[in-house]
Amino acid sequence: MIRSDILDLMNMVMKKRGREPLADEGQSTREAGFRSLDFSEVALRIESKVGRELSFEAASMRQIETVKDVLDFFEEAIKG
Amino acid sequence: MHTQNQSIIVSGGSRGLGLHLVSRLLEAGNKVATFARSHTAAMDDLSAKYGDAFYFTPLDAVDAPGVTAFVMEVSDRFGGLDSVVNNAAIGQDQLLMHTDVETIQRITNINIVGPTLLTRAAIKHMMLSGGGNICNISSICGSRGYAGLSVYAGSKGYLDAMMRALAREVGEAGIFINNVAPGFFESEMSSVLRPEQLDTIKRRTPSGSLSNDENIFKVVDLVISGTTNMQGQVVFVDGGITS
Ligand SMILES: NC(=O)c1ccc[n+]([C@@H]2O[C@H](COP(=O)([O-])OP(=O)(O)OC[C@H]3O[C@@H](n4cnc5c(N)ncnc54)[C@H](OP(=O)(O)O)[C@@H]3O)[C@@H](O)[C@H]2O)c1
Repeated sequence: MIRSDILDLMNMVMKKRGREPLADEGQSTREAGFRSLDFSEVALRIESKVGRELSFEAASMRQIETVKDVLDFFEEAIKG
Repeated sequence: MHTQNQSIIVSGGSRGLGLHLVSRLLEAGNKVATFARSHTAAMDDLSAKYGDAFYFTPLDAVDAPGVTAFVMEVSDRFGGLDSVVNNAAIGQDQLLMHTDVETIQRITNINIVGPTLLTRAAIKHMMLSGGGNICNISSICGSRGYAGLSVYAGSKGYLDAMMRALAREVGEAGIFINNVAPGFFESEMSSVLRPEQLDTIKRRTPSGSLSNDENIFKVVDLVISGTTNMQGQVVFVDGGITS
């Protein structure tokens, strides 16, 4: 999975929740309305695409502030 | 001080709350034994200060034969066993859907199987010696929901439920079993909480402050003193956040 696939999944979740698509990587997740449960849903969708579980601490989720942080986080998690 | 001249086991006394409980109980003239997986410098300090009244050995709470042998060893060294404080535990900071199976097993083993084994070994001893006191350190998480703590919370809820059943099983034998359920307090376990989160918890706490080791000690001291006739209860030490 590449970065744009992850962004697509994020936008799929945003659309499902009736929210505007994410504008750019610098956008704040809080302002965009991308919540922690949305983050979890993206994680689960990535898990089913890569065929394995991604487990991580809640502390790492709490450090996320921007769309870029989410993409970086999942890129790293996928590398394992 | 309510607890005096007792022989006491506190699990997980190498640091955090356990270390405070051990130190304060020793100060009051009790004999105290503890174990943890790793040795800390504080264990040497207590040995130097209290000599034979203190005993530490490295032990994993889930090592069943080790725990049974520890209870026998303490009873032999101290000439009996009056009270046990089940304090050793590990925390969690993961949403369940992102928690791997090994972590779930580790938490349930240490936080559920561990105190069950120690309690079992202790009550066998207490049955034969005419009674004693068991105090489990549970948590407000056993009774209230906090995200990221599901497995940990389940383990604390287990301790509360087991305690009530055991009070019925062994109460008649003069064994008093109760739980002390602290709110969040500062320690290595709660260090995952950011200062803003701790501030939010304080704001939502009627007393306006988190409990500290000494607040919790005061209640544990009373609970294991054998002077209260309190049986099968969970006592919250949380500044009123669960009120
Ligand atoms: N901190 C909080 O906010 C909070 C709130 C409510 C309730 N509590 C409860 O209060 C108690 C003490 O917590 P704390 O914050 O003081 O924790 P802590 O600082 O993490 O200390 C835990 C102690 O337990 C020992 N331990 C852990 N796993 C063990 C194992 N498998 N075998 C033997 N010893 C083990 C540790 O030593 P090793 O790691 O070397 O084994 C250490 O001595 C726990 O029951 C906790 O659930 C804590």
